[in-house]
Amino acid sequence: MYQSKWRIFTNHTILVLGSLFMILPVWIAFASSTHTREYIFQNGLQFWPGGEFFTNYGAILFDAEATKGRVTALEMLFNSMVLGLGFAIGKVIISMMAAYAIVYFRFKLAVPLFWIIFSTLLLPLEVRIVPSYEVVANLGLLNSYTGLILPLIASATGTFFFRQFYRSVPDELLEAARLDGAGPLRFFIDILVPLSVTMIAAIFIIMFVVGWNQYLWPLLMTTDDQLYTIVIGIKQVYNSLYEGGQIPQFPKAFALTIMASVPPVLVVVIFQRMFIKGLVETEK
Amino acid sequence: MATVTLNQAQKTYPNGFKAIHGIDLKIEHGEFTVLVGPSGCGKSTLLRMIAGLEGISDGEISIDDKVVNTVAPADRDIAMVFQNYALYPHMNNYDNMAYGLKNRGYSKAEIDTKVREAARILQLEDHLERKPRQLSGGQRQRVAMGRAIVRQPKVFLFDEPLSNLDAKLRVDMRLEIKNLQQRLGITSVYVTHDQVEAMTLADRLIVMNGGVAEQIGSPIDVYEKPASQFVAGFIGSPAMNFLKGKVSDDKKHVTVGDGVELELDHDVEGGREVTVGIRPEHLQMHNDGNGRIDAGVRMVESLGAETLAYLDFGANADNVTLRLQGTHQFAQGEKLNLSVPADKIHLFDIETGKRI
Repeated sequence: MYQSKWRIFTNHTILVLGSLFMILPVWIAFASSTHTREYIFQNGLQFWPGGEFFTNYGAILFDAEATKGRVTALEMLFNSMVLGLGFAIGKVIISMMAAYAIVYFRFKLAVPLFWIIFSTLLLPLEVRIVPSYEVVANLGLLNSYTGLILPLIASATGTFFFRQFYRSVPDELLEAARLDGAGPLRFFIDILVPLSVTMIAAIFIIMFVVGWNQYLWPLLMTTDDQLYTIVIGIKQVYNSLYEGGQIPQFPKAFALTIMASVPPVLVVVIFQRMFIKGLVETEK
Repeated sequence: MATVTLNQAQKTYPNGFKAIHGIDLKIEHGEFTVLVGPSGCGKSTLLRMIAGLEGISDGEISIDDKVVNTVAPADRDIAMVFQNYALYPHMNNYDNMAYGLKNRGYSKAEIDTKVREAARILQLEDHLERKPRQLSGGQRQRVAMGRAIVRQPKVFLFDEPLSNLDAKLRVDMRLEIKNLQQRLGITSVYVTHDQVEAMTLADRLIVMNGGVAEQIGSPIDVYEKPASQFVAGFIGSPAMNFLKGKVSDDKKHVTVGDGVELELDHDVEGGREVTVGIRPEHLQMHNDGNGRIDAGVRMVESLGAETLAYLDFGANADNVTLRLQGTHQFAQGEKLNLSVPADKIHLFDIETGKRI
């Protein structure tokens, strides 16, 4: 398509402005996290980085005192990582298997069961959070990784996506595999899972970010500081900003925020490559 | 080497649709049987019943005298080639061929020998490390055949394997399949809707229509003595001409169009209304006026090697195809003088369509 110079110019202007609009707040938070608290308190938010990067980030990562709790940012990052990975991997596995059952085993209740699963898409976690808490508490899973991850692992969205994908896989592939002596499990592991790599990557990305950003659920499930995720940590740090008559810890709060956003960004950047590579290479 | 026997094999779908109405058939050792028919005639269903991919509602299917009605597809010792190849896209061609052997617990060394042998036969040695998508359609179909032959099954099943290929490649692959089948001597069942494929490949042809085997016989038999009007119309291209006719009282002639009398080679009940079938290639043109038929040319199609003329025989017979070798120039409306040898005239019952 022919594009005039004027048109290219306006297109790029819009894109550049849009990008700046998205990036500037993050940049300001980063720049402000590299000054001393006194400097920020006196001069407000900063646009250019200062010289306290290592001091501030070192303190927040390794010194529990800096986060106003009994847990360091490193530990919180670890907790978030466990939650994000467990959440994403669990969801991918569970929804793949559920979709496999629904699509390939034509048992009587497959269709109604699918619609029941699908309709739970309409119900957000918040709706069932009280009964879910009750169940987890009765199982004695409060303040544990299992309690944090397990109740969230079923996924209507994931099941739906995998179902749609499996339905697009040609039947002949299943028939060829049957003739080749592959049972249901073999077919799933040898044929379906490798074919789903792109779908797995896509759902993994989405679910990791969702899991990482969980706030309400970990807040309810964990009363022990040792299990705090970084999202809760941010909240806690901001809460305690004005306590004790000291100068507020703005730079450290900003540092924690920046650290909280780095892992999801990395996951997206890394897996997106695989995702696109898969999209280009896969062919039916 | 194996035989396949169908004994009143039937298929009824849960919604009550009867796809196969009871078929009896015995396929001999090493025989190449072709199932041919229009879409929806049940030919693929029948093949899939033999493969075990469709259940059998009634009757029996046996391979080597062993009833396989409830035997799983993998345990029937058959191999199938699909229309869309159905290769595993994420495996390279070597693994595609090896997969069935792996699942059957062959050792690595055995698998390697068998796969390389199959690749040699199919001239795929240079492509083993590649993925299916890096191959052309013909090569993919060869990999699919390789996957079938590595196992040295008792029976080969082909489900329209050439339909996705372009015309030239189809002819090459047709020869290759025939060649391979004769060399390996494996009993084969081949489904196609292409009558040229059917005629050239088959040792025995099964023409199917509406879930019934209309005729089972050698390709030449089917061509020369079609058992029904359906078979006669389906086999042969351009299709056979069908004309309304009436048998004369002397039982030796049939009248078509505007009083054209054609001689018969066998006696038929006098006065009977029949359908007369004449193949376009069996109409002979006479320059000396000795033919019994006079017909006007309506249209001409020149194909180079042959010429097709559409003729008007008069009432109820105004679109008769004539096929002549070589090129001919006809003016529209030009009168041609024609005849048909008595043994090339086919008569069919008007009601049942059965051969008389």
